[in-house]
Amino acid sequence: MSSIETLYLTFLTTGFIVGFGHCIGMCGPIVVSFSLNLKTKGLMVPNLLYHAGRITTYALLGGVMGATGAFTRVTTGIGSLQKGAMIFAGLIIILMGLGMSGWMPLGKIFGDYYRPEGIIARSFRKLSGIQSTAAFLPLGLVLGLLPCGPVYTALIAAAGLGMETQSTFNAVLAGMGLMAMFGIGTVPSLLMVARLSGMGWLRSRNIIYKIGSILMIGVGIYFLIKGFRY
Amino acid sequence: MLCSDDKTTSHFVPLRSPSRNMSLLIKLWIGMFFLFTIILPMTATATDRAKMINCDVHHGTCTQKLQDMDIIFDISPKPVKAMTDLKFTITLTGKQGASEPFIDLGMPGMEMGPNRVFLKSNGKGIYSGTGIIVRCPSGKRIWKATVTVPDKGSVEFIFDVIY
Repeated sequence: MSSIETLYLTFLTTGFIVGFGHCIGMCGPIVVSFSLNLKTKGLMVPNLLYHAGRITTYALLGGVMGATGAFTRVTTGIGSLQKGAMIFAGLIIILMGLGMSGWMPLGKIFGDYYRPEGIIARSFRKLSGIQSTAAFLPLGLVLGLLPCGPVYTALIAAAGLGMETQSTFNAVLAGMGLMAMFGIGTVPSLLMVARLSGMGWLRSRNIIYKIGSILMIGVGIYFLIKGFRY
Repeated sequence: MLCSDDKTTSHFVPLRSPSRNMSLLIKLWIGMFFLFTIILPMTATATDRAKMINCDVHHGTCTQKLQDMDIIFDISPKPVKAMTDLKFTITLTGKQGASEPFIDLGMPGMEMGPNRVFLKSNGKGIYSGTGIIVRCPSGKRIWKATVTVPDKGSVEFIFDVIY
């Protein structure tokens, strides 16, 4: 087995291990929010699309790291994007929580000026009730930018791999491959969380729904605070 | 008026049906999940965290004993910041092995993935290499550098970094 293949296997395993510890804590709330929000639809396809988006972003970042071999320069460059992703995640979780609870109808938020056909109202409605399967791919692409310690560690390895590889093209591929492997490794744990939180009979119970809404709003606020402080 | 909240049944309902037990279990699971992943980590006091630290890396070097040798650990530039290129230096005194030491960076009690700093000899028992301490969005700042000297063993230096 070559050193690249060994690294791929190492980071696939790392993703799997980190998934059941770190990712459940950091990305778990997002996945739970999505699952609770998917009221009647199947969970598997939207979740897989979300993870496909997330892994694509990881792979793209890995490609950039591989090409440049400069971890600190690239992370400094995408710092504001990551901050934005964290704030976006917080907002979307809060909106989903509000939308799911039914406590805050759109009319109350927008007051007398609320127009259902307005751009803001439509965007709000879309964000607070994401149930279109296709929407989960771009969500994954954006939220793949969320700052995360283990992702950074994998990116350091991708940058290191890039420096060891002779041609830029191969360096890009090596970096992308490593990050894709890491991302794939994290999927089983998050699918498990989605499966547990999205059980049909559980979602049918109103009280769980209300508790879920409160937790989602709380987690969203936590993400917002972390995002603004980041 | 029925006592049960289930409007479709009027017969006797046991106090704890299997589905209610399951519901309780799921509520408990959701509660525990958020308790352990979000709430408890936030309530850890600064004193708890400070107790773990055994190395003030911002103000100088740190020394630990491993068998018959002293291991002197240093990071520069100071103060030590996350997400920047850092120079790690290890000085070994006493009888040394043939292989070069290395450093594994991680957080105490949190899996962060493999982050190894390979060191090269500068002569006279001094080894150095570059590495990066990543930033954890949870806000935790305590990091652990496990210095391994092949054939001898390893020691842990626990310190805080600036985000």
